[in-house]
Amino acid sequence: MAIKIMIVDDSPFSRTIIAETLTDGGYEVVGEADSLETALETYNKTKPDIVTMDIAMPEADGFEVSRALLRNDPKAKIILSSSMKDEETELEAKRVGISGYVQKPVEADNLFEVIRKVLSPDTLFQELLSRGLDTFKEALSQNITRMAKTSVSFIEDAEIDDPYQSKGVTTIIGIIGQYTGTMILDLSFEVAEKIAETILRRPAKNPEEVLAMVSELANIIGGIACSMLNKREKALGLRVSPPSMFHGNSAELVSPSVKIHKSLAQTEYGVIFLGVGFKKGSTLWM
Amino acid sequence: MDVNIINPILSAFTEILPQIGFQQIEKKKIALVGSTFDYDGILLNIAMIGSIKGVILIGMSIDDAKSFASKMMMGMEVAEFDKLAQSAISEMGNMVCANACTQFSKIDVGGLDISPPTLMMGQGQATLPVPQAIIIDFTCDNIDVKIYVGLA
Repeated sequence: MAIKIMIVDDSPFSRTIIAETLTDGGYEVVGEADSLETALETYNKTKPDIVTMDIAMPEADGFEVSRALLRNDPKAKIILSSSMKDEETELEAKRVGISGYVQKPVEADNLFEVIRKVLSPDTLFQELLSRGLDTFKEALSQNITRMAKTSVSFIEDAEIDDPYQSKGVTTIIGIIGQYTGTMILDLSFEVAEKIAETILRRPAKNPEEVLAMVSELANIIGGIACSMLNKREKALGLRVSPPSMFHGNSAELVSPSVKIHKSLAQTEYGVIFLGVGFKKGSTLWM
Repeated sequence: MDVNIINPILSAFTEILPQIGFQQIEKKKIALVGSTFDYDGILLNIAMIGSIKGVILIGMSIDDAKSFASKMMMGMEVAEFDKLAQSAISEMGNMVCANACTQFSKIDVGGLDISPPTLMMGQGQATLPVPQAIIIDFTCDNIDVKIYVGLA
């Protein structure tokens, strides 16, 4: 069965050119739209495998229409067509969740290649998913052992579905790169206090000192794990944010757009929760 | 922290909210606070990384978060702050912060990207990775929303 494609472009001329190119290439053009409203309506009626999207349109632009289509169906696969090719357009497309890009005027071979890539399984992402948690576990284990002189064993690997109940001190690190993600470290204040005491070789002077130690530890674990992943696969280009912390709390935590895989690190001071998740938002630029 | 850093975030918030069903977006107050502050309700955490780095938090009381999600879902009743409501608020944060990156690029602060949102629900204290954070108080169709900016 032919791959179904919908074309969003305000110019009837451009739509005709793209439609003819696609039809000649053996694709089935199932719908055309020239605005946000018609794009949503046509998408829901025709359920295309791919949407080609013009950036410059008179009312809602291609990014806005793409956001609406992805809100309507997060699995929508959109290929942006634009005469512009600059870093900011690329980043914006990635942030929106657009899957690929072709430069205008659209060349048939380029377009077919991007369609093929967008529809084929993303092995780099699959590898990141399968290695991600283990790499963060390795970074945690190495650094806790080195800094806090305790052995670490992991007692549970699972996906978190329901809200996770914080044990008291939560550190969140954001990750960007070819894919974006989150690392969460959570432990009780008592466990944090014991680790701080070992690292400082004296009791912490105040709660702030304990929190600063947890923040630094999370920063090191996140940074080292991403470096390890980047070393194995340069294309990942992962970078981490400084940590934000939530503490003194009775809080639950959820990650609505990313599946978080968790592991519990058992140390002689108590348990440390480690959660890691990645999200696809890659753009194939050609 | 340079207080002007919040301008792209203000623009993003006032540009995105009308797109998701809000009519009146009023900026009430801007305050500079230390890196640690109390929260009670929900706090959405989104990291921003590039030529500036840090985090943007969006906070509301649980009741306001339910009203906010209901408004985003065209008035659908939201009795519990459930998965659907959590997803709606996260999506709003994602859109605002992604748009803020675009606004930053217009003033030559480029190369920014954002992490996926993480949502904290409950109460306690938050500490941002900056010496001082900026809190912006908004009222959006009678719903109180706080934006905490910790970027440097």
